[in-house]
Amino acid sequence: MISKLVRRNIAATKGRLFLMLLSIVLGVSFVSGSFLLADSLRAIFSDITATAFSGIDAQVRGIEGDLSTGEEAIRISEDIFDTVAALPEVEYAEAGLAAFFQVYTVGADGEVNRPQGPPVFANSWAGPSVASSFALRDGQAPSGNQVAIDATQAETEGLAVGDQVQVSGPGIDELLDMEVSGIVSFGDSDALAGAYFNLFDLPTMQTLMGSPGEIDGVIVNGQDDVSNTELLRAVQAALGDDATLEVVSGTTLIDEQSGEFNEFIDIFGNVLLGFALVVLFVSIFIIYNTFAILISQRIRQFGLLRSIGATGQQLTRMVLIEALIIGIIASIIGLFGGIGIATLLKYLFSQGGGEFPDGPLLFKTRTIIIVFFLGIGVTVGSALLPSFVAQRIPALAALRDGAAATTEGSRHRRVLFGGIVFTLGVALTLFGLFGSLSTAPRLALLGFGAALLFVGVAMLSVLFASAATRFLGAPVEMARGLNGRLARDNASRNPQRTAATASALMIGLALITGVLVLTQSLRASFDKILDETVAADLFIYDDNQGFPFDGAAVAQLAVAPGIDQVAAITSLKVDIDGQVENATGFDVASTDQVLDAQLIGGTYDTGENGVLIYSGKADELNLAIGASINVRFEDDFTDDFTIVGVFDDNTLFGSAWIFDRATTSQHTNLDTVEFVGATFEAGAEPALAQMAAEDAVANFPQLIVQDNSEFKETQEGQINSLLIVVFALLGLCIVVAFIGIVNTMALSILERTREIGLLRAIGTSRRQLRSMVRWEAIIVGVFGALLGVVLGIIIGYAAVSAIPDSFISVVSIPWRWAVIFTIVGGVLGMFAAVLPARRAARMNVLDAISTV
Amino acid sequence: MSQDTMTGAVIASATNVMKIYGSGETEVRALDGLNAEFRRGQFSAVMGPSGSGKSTLMHVMAGLDRATSGDVVVGGVDLSTLSEKKLTLLRRDRIGFVFQAYNLVPTLSAEENMVLPLDLAGRKPDPEWFNQVVTAVGLGDRLDHRPNELSGGQQQRVAVARALVGQPDIIFADEPTGNLDSKTGHEILDFLRTAVRELGQTVVMVTHDPLGASYTDRAIFLEDGKITSEMVDPNADDIYNYMRSLGA
Repeated sequence: MISKLVRRNIAATKGRLFLMLLSIVLGVSFVSGSFLLADSLRAIFSDITATAFSGIDAQVRGIEGDLSTGEEAIRISEDIFDTVAALPEVEYAEAGLAAFFQVYTVGADGEVNRPQGPPVFANSWAGPSVASSFALRDGQAPSGNQVAIDATQAETEGLAVGDQVQVSGPGIDELLDMEVSGIVSFGDSDALAGAYFNLFDLPTMQTLMGSPGEIDGVIVNGQDDVSNTELLRAVQAALGDDATLEVVSGTTLIDEQSGEFNEFIDIFGNVLLGFALVVLFVSIFIIYNTFAILISQRIRQFGLLRSIGATGQQLTRMVLIEALIIGIIASIIGLFGGIGIATLLKYLFSQGGGEFPDGPLLFKTRTIIIVFFLGIGVTVGSALLPSFVAQRIPALAALRDGAAATTEGSRHRRVLFGGIVFTLGVALTLFGLFGSLSTAPRLALLGFGAALLFVGVAMLSVLFASAATRFLGAPVEMARGLNGRLARDNASRNPQRTAATASALMIGLALITGVLVLTQSLRASFDKILDETVAADLFIYDDNQGFPFDGAAVAQLAVAPGIDQVAAITSLKVDIDGQVENATGFDVASTDQVLDAQLIGGTYDTGENGVLIYSGKADELNLAIGASINVRFEDDFTDDFTIVGVFDDNTLFGSAWIFDRATTSQHTNLDTVEFVGATFEAGAEPALAQMAAEDAVANFPQLIVQDNSEFKETQEGQINSLLIVVFALLGLCIVVAFIGIVNTMALSILERTREIGLLRAIGTSRRQLRSMVRWEAIIVGVFGALLGVVLGIIIGYAAVSAIPDSFISVVSIPWRWAVIFTIVGGVLGMFAAVLPARRAARMNVLDAISTV
Repeated sequence: MSQDTMTGAVIASATNVMKIYGSGETEVRALDGLNAEFRRGQFSAVMGPSGSGKSTLMHVMAGLDRATSGDVVVGGVDLSTLSEKKLTLLRRDRIGFVFQAYNLVPTLSAEENMVLPLDLAGRKPDPEWFNQVVTAVGLGDRLDHRPNELSGGQQQRVAVARALVGQPDIIFADEPTGNLDSKTGHEILDFLRTAVRELGQTVVMVTHDPLGASYTDRAIFLEDGKITSEMVDPNADDIYNYMRSLGA
């Protein structure tokens, strides 16, 4: 019967529950959508991988060392192909050479052909075979100066068989003219997650890569009557004991590739899930408020139940069962709502330039369990506190008119509890920011700490919600007279309710403001570095994703007319005294004339075996100038190096060790660089010198040559597009908070029916009543926004302080945005009040007064 | 089922009961050392002017509120010794209550409202007794109706039935006819009397209506938190005269 009563209560008040349900559904849908999207991506990519390697039984390839940076495989001699192909167990073998972000086709307009986001691959291809997953859709396999391209590229770039294109590659000095020989599909489908493919015959590919006689590996398809194990054993035997080679099975290839994709998808999915949890977190405040208000509205009913013998626990159970039912309903709707969210996210990302592969959305059991766990958990958990209030409703409440649950004692407890939660939140957040932790526990700690912090602030804000809203309402009262007075009083008369409503808005705005503080500080720090420590006039890099490009570009730039100094940066891995470390190769001969690492001791002149160390690292390892370290490079070259200088700024260099690039290029598999800075010759015309530089790297169409202000703009643009994504995701928090304000206002107005009737009876006009409700919501909205902005600035400030100065050295507070957000809070309040205000104004006066 | 109502066992008693609200200047003694006894099978009226403490007495006797001092015993149990939880269970199992404003749960049907206390206790109603009660209140054809589909008198009959269904030791009724017109008010009073005479229940009713009190076996009069007078088998005229003599 209790559950029947609960169900009847839900049915009777479903209008009042709707907005709360909506807020939970939004959060739950986001959670569900995150899982759906990530699972669907996983399935699509594992499908792709399986297709790509379906015809391959085994592969011979070079061994990757612990210092490989992994952009390219270690190349091996093409002679190995003959050895493998000659084996009787082998039905088909093909030598292959591939490139990732190195070889592009260039359109007639001179623009490089590449999609935004998805990668560009280049492969050697001997035409359709048992081992190949490419099929010819049109034309024929490439031979000599020919390229076969994928159907997606052909369609997007408007290319057809017989068309002329230019092709770039790190091994060639100028673009090669080629003919499109064929259009290929991947398995049955045109598209492979939006990626582009450029296929050449092996000798052409070797020329393009500047690796004559070298291949990445040999793919092998065994005879039908030879088992995979036998095949692997035979190939291994034929290779002898060459330790630089390894043989792996097709399954291993699939596993490796899926693993790489999954790693990326996991990050993507977890970021989405993080945002989803924030949205769900915001709905906690709305659930709490709704139940608190519902209970105060049902106080007579609860008093009645108490008087006829319901125990306090039974009332608590009733509230919790109600929450449980709502949680279940919200979870069911949210689970499927995830489809909508996933579709929306796909759309948003494709608008932002990241193409999403098409595929069905997958409901995994795990998703269903988590969605229900979170949906029900959040709803029931948020209803806990109100349910305990229900327990304390006395039987006499049934007899009293307008009785309220006694909250005075509980208020003290709450403030005390809030203080504890707040302190714990601050402690965890600070420890998360400044403690020495690895990334995962740091993030977990920060997330949990921030959640506690928000809850703590929300609970403590009860203390000053009345005073703050009275203060904020003062100008309203002055401007609007009695109406303003009532609006102000209404906003401040139930501090708990106001605090919870405002807190929901606070969270979203605090996070947005915090992110703004971070990014604005990042931008300010970046500008400072550009202005103060970078002398370069030109910046040359791949603006797509900062992919490395061939070191030949540096030499070409150096001889361009009007260009004085050129300095490039490359990153690599080295083994220093037994520890694998990130290191930088830098043209140290340019000293600080192009890019400056802020030398605070010693010299840039590394000589034969010198190295520079970052000041922080020097302190950590207790190393000083003159100290000797043992270094092993990717090619196993090992030698002792001496520290010749200490630098203080690793923002541009990104590592704690700087070697001469002349040294690093000798000992890495590929001579690539990531970033080049150049200065103009004295007296050179900047525009002409920039054009000369552009000409000098014309064979690298993926590169852009930017001057100082263009460079700044690009970096700013990247920060901005990141901000847009973050804001879009956090925007849902604001939507939920908005629903929260509507919800509180609507419920409060129902509660005040009698009072409103009275106001109308004594002559308050509908218009005045609407204005009163509107101003109340505006006051609450501004209060929430102020809380959020202040908290966001504090959080952002703490985060910036925690980030090493080498990364962010300037704290910049977005004051303008702070003001805008506060106004936005008021505007949100105003819109939130529209429907509740209309409802209040439409109440029938007599009915309203006679309502008990 | 007539019996001598003056000789039944004492089922509820108040001894030297004080109920004080507030303190210092604002102190109000709602009950000021009050003594009263109610016997099984008796229909009693508690009367008195506004603020005399009659409602407070009822709340304290029914375990809805606690006395500041003194003993309240219902069915042999001293209420002051009970925990909040035990008090609730006592209310549920041994006390019935009828409010002035019906106080039905609007989302439950008449029948569901009637059996709600039993349901809260996890008990099933005794079908024979339930039928007897339903027949007595004359709501047999209205059991599926929600309260808002019933008239005020019908709602109050449901409330009375709810108090009866659990066969409590004692039923307290707080101005049960206060919201009803006089005709339906008399129906309820008739019915309460029937419950006492024919179903053997014990009812204590707070009222300020001399006509209402005339339905009872005995009326006690309160003034300033004390019992000042008592009438056996009161009739309306006597009560009216007595009250006028008080200047009320």
